[in-house]
Amino acid sequence: MTLLETKTGNIYQVQIIRQEEKVLRRLEALGILEGTKVEVLNRKKTGATIIKVRGTRWALGEDIARGIEVEGYGHE
Amino acid sequence: MSDQIIQVAFVGNPNCGKTTLFNALTGSNLKVANWPGVTVEKKEGLTDYKGQKMNLVDTPGIYSLTSYSLEEKVTRNCVMEDNIDVIVNVVDASSLERNLYLTMQLLELGKPVILAMNMMDIVKERGMEIDTHRLPEMLGDIPVVPVSARKRTGLPVLLHAVKHHYQEPVEKKVVRYSDELEEKIAAIEERLRQKEGAQQFTRFTAVKLLENDEVTKEKHPIEISDLMDKNYEKEIINQKYDYIEEVVEETLFHKGQKEEKTDRVDQILTHSFWGVPVFFGIMALVFFFTFTIGDFLKGYFEVALDWLIGATATGMEAIHAANWLTSLVVDGIISGVGGILTFLPNIFILFVALGILEDSGYMARVAYVMDGIMGKVGLSGKAFLPMVLGFGCTVPAVMAARTLESDTDRKKTIFLTPFMSCSARLPIYVLFSQIFFPNSAMLVAYSLYVIGLFMAIVIAVIIGHVTEKSHNHNLLIELPEYKLPNFRTIRMYVWDKVKDYLSKAGTTIFIASIVIWFILNFNTSGMVDNVSHSFGAVLGHWMEPILAPLGLGTWQIGVALISGLSAKEVVVSSFSVLFGVNNVNSVAGMGALSAGLAQYGFGPLNAYALMVFCLLYTPCVATIATIKKETNSWKFTGIMIVFQLLLAYAASLLVYQVGSLLL
Repeated sequence: MTLLETKTGNIYQVQIIRQEEKVLRRLEALGILEGTKVEVLNRKKTGATIIKVRGTRWALGEDIARGIEVEGYGHE
Repeated sequence: MSDQIIQVAFVGNPNCGKTTLFNALTGSNLKVANWPGVTVEKKEGLTDYKGQKMNLVDTPGIYSLTSYSLEEKVTRNCVMEDNIDVIVNVVDASSLERNLYLTMQLLELGKPVILAMNMMDIVKERGMEIDTHRLPEMLGDIPVVPVSARKRTGLPVLLHAVKHHYQEPVEKKVVRYSDELEEKIAAIEERLRQKEGAQQFTRFTAVKLLENDEVTKEKHPIEISDLMDKNYEKEIINQKYDYIEEVVEETLFHKGQKEEKTDRVDQILTHSFWGVPVFFGIMALVFFFTFTIGDFLKGYFEVALDWLIGATATGMEAIHAANWLTSLVVDGIISGVGGILTFLPNIFILFVALGILEDSGYMARVAYVMDGIMGKVGLSGKAFLPMVLGFGCTVPAVMAARTLESDTDRKKTIFLTPFMSCSARLPIYVLFSQIFFPNSAMLVAYSLYVIGLFMAIVIAVIIGHVTEKSHNHNLLIELPEYKLPNFRTIRMYVWDKVKDYLSKAGTTIFIASIVIWFILNFNTSGMVDNVSHSFGAVLGHWMEPILAPLGLGTWQIGVALISGLSAKEVVVSSFSVLFGVNNVNSVAGMGALSAGLAQYGFGPLNAYALMVFCLLYTPCVATIATIKKETNSWKFTGIMIVFQLLLAYAASLLVYQVGSLLL
């Protein structure tokens, strides 16, 4: 599933990131890449999502969230 | 040795406190706040430690040594190309894991690195502990200095470390990659040496080449395709993070015990439905305080100004000053400059409120909250941050657009920012809404802010259609922890703005007032008795027919609007001088200005048309210069100037003509 379909409050693991090269590299530099654990904190109806990765909160726009494929990892 | 100045670069993630530390060490007053991307330019300052001079360089925050956005390029170039002796890597100790990634890259460079562990107080507050003995061992024995930039502790220790370690090369192989990678790195290093000779940063360059980094490939075009059987970038990043996890595991204790506070606040402020209304509520509150508390304080200023006017007039009479000189001082300088000074309380409150917003950590949330709305007009929520800053002053707001990744987004944001009513337009709204709409002054002033926002949205939609880029959902921004606004930070921020305002009053407004006084009192044959023969009247009369359809066909208004190009406050100071009103912001002053304007049949509708015109027309020269500098395009700047002028004309025309029909 993509990050858009996740439930807030749960933890997921990134499987693959489908993004244009520039965004992909940006995410990687921030430590968001395959295998990274992601906690979903909040989401708006528009799809913008707040996640927590390696102790840092990030706000992601809808397109970015849609391009991140994740798999369930467990609860908080 | 002490003759030599050590060049020190402060490098670190956005919002980790580099600038606060830099200010504390150099006694500078650069702006700091609690959102990523406050610093967009490199700044330098000197300091001295026991006779050793040091030149400190503050850089924009970066997450890694790549160069995708403008500020990142600035920092990367500073570290790699400038003459830097030692890097002070400032890290936010409360989010060590993310901060250490950049540290690992810096270590690979091989330049001396000193780790400044900032925000140790927050680490303690949250009940965490960091083993500051084990940490340096795991980072190749670089000096690790705990500091608190806000509380100004640890600063001498940091400078001591700089003085003693600035020539000490570091262990470049802190992160040991897998054997496969290390072999490839060694091979590339060898080729680099053969082809380009001995150089700095060989390991870093080799790793970057292996990561397929565009900028590095351009600079070092060596043949490595035989080694690149796949893209190693992910492996390299992952192995760096693996090592960081190891470091964090061994040095950080009691992690994540007290983090829920921010999450709880976020449940309200970033709520999926209430987020937007809450934001508009907060902004409405900011302006409510600006008007009410500002007006309350204003009274004291007026009394002081009245006294000054009286004393000056009497004093000048007593020393038998020439009439023209008394006129220049009392009717020109004091009416113009003094009148503007009485708006200082409003400006003060506005900036206190904006300062608190910026320092609390809320600003980055605004980007998230507004992302949906901004996305519909083809911009990311991040583009909203410069716009909020635009309520303070358009100049730094235009510069803040640098944090946006794409050039189109930057230009679009720069185009929209002047529609946010800056603090210079505030005196115009305060004055004219109080004179002509005494019962609903605040509402009228609010309406202008809303019109500005509305115009920005409409224009963004139109640009979106023209450029066929009508949606954008690529927001990516860090949300910092909330914190209580720091008194010192707010004081510095507000004082800086107040100083700007005062110096503007002492320079631009001062000169504009003299010029206005001059063109009102002189013509080619010298000083005139009748204003209607002056230069000003001639110039103004020439503009009357153009402005008449807007209900602004009075020669004084033409003059005031032209002079307002120097700074928007000058519109107000010019009105004072033009109508010979002293202390324009007082009850008596407002009465006098109102009476003066009434002679020309200028009523509430005209006043509203005037305010709309002032909201929308060409920004002040300082803004124009900044836009030129930031876009590096006279064409873009020229289009903006003409467009805003036409828009202002059309909007005021609409207001006045439709209003005349209805009323």
